Amino acid sequence: MLNAAVTDLMTDTTALAAAETDNGLVRAAVGGDMRAFEAIYRRHASRIHGVIQRLVGGQGVRADDLTQEAFVRAWQALPKFRFESAFSTWLHRLAVNTALMELRSRRSQPLFDEDEDRLDDLGMADSAGHQTALSLDLERAVATLPPRARAVLVLYDVEGWKHEEIASELGMAVGSSKAQLHRARQLLRERLGVEA
Amino acid sequence: MNEENDRLRWQLKGLRQDVPPSRDLWPGIAARIAELPQPSTGSSAGRERVASLPLRARRLVPWAMAASVLLTVGFLWQATHLTSAQEEPLIRQEAVQLTRDYQGALAQIQGAEAHPELGGALQELDRSAEEILAALDRAPNTRFLLEQLRRTYAKRLALTQRAMMS
Repeated sequence: MLNAAVTDLMTDTTALAAAETDNGLVRAAVGGDMRAFEAIYRRHASRIHGVIQRLVGGQGVRADDLTQEAFVRAWQALPKFRFESAFSTWLHRLAVNTALMELRSRRSQPLFDEDEDRLDDLGMADSAGHQTALSLDLERAVATLPPRARAVLVLYDVEGWKHEEIASELGMAVGSSKAQLHRARQLLRERLGVEA
Repeated sequence: MNEENDRLRWQLKGLRQDVPPSRDLWPGIAARIAELPQPSTGSSAGRERVASLPLRARRLVPWAMAASVLLTVGFLWQATHLTSAQEEPLIRQEAVQLTRDYQGALAQIQGAEAHPELGGALQELDRSAEEILAALDRAPNTRFLLEQLRRTYAKRLALTQRAMMS
């Protein structure tokens, strides 16, 4: 019990110290200090790249490009950061927004959202034999989901966002976000060969 | 079923892990920032829109367009080239469009790769285009890179066409 309390306290202290450091670096970077911004990049690159990779389905070069893009956008938006929330939360949201913007921009291309049913069919056909589906691990299975369904699933089940936040970010109704989540989980179970 | 759902959700939560990029992205970020216009001038929304285009991702998209578009591209490029320097942030967009049209044109005259004597030259031109695109990713406002890209594509198309006719 005491150990748990001490651990919690240490975690809080560490998080507080990290936030303080971030804020100091942000202030310096807003003043034009590139070394401070590089330090911000070094501190957050893995976390930002991680969420982007999950959102775009684990595609290496694309995730790298979007991570780079997110940090360039962060640099541009830095003067607007008001220190009202944790910088890490602000940056995380900006990265999600960058990835989703790119996903939205691809909607006009074939085999994307408007054509998701076709993708679903492909997935169903793939999992029908179960051999392939059973061999997919969870991460790879998530990556095979249709982009919009994957985005909702990742943001809700992995990143812990609320439906209202997801709906607002993806420009959809809250009900649609819930429906997409249901659909994504269903597809995921099929792809993993789990009984629903 | 509920147990399965709970287990799946726990497993999904476990995916929330840091994943470092496959390479150090800082040099590219620093180069992009160095090329940005000074803050508080122009439309930041416009700049962000241009910057949001992931060049390398987009150029891989297949485009089935006629070879004749290249002529149009040439005209369009010349027209934009002659406009004022205020359009500098559009360079990256122009490069994206140029690449799309080039790929469309190339798709119409494929087959030159069957000529082994030209293989080296074609590969060299492809490599050059790759390098220019990578440089444009780092410095999206650099017009001479766009010009270089256009020249490289033109050479590549001319060589491909020559191979087809020989």
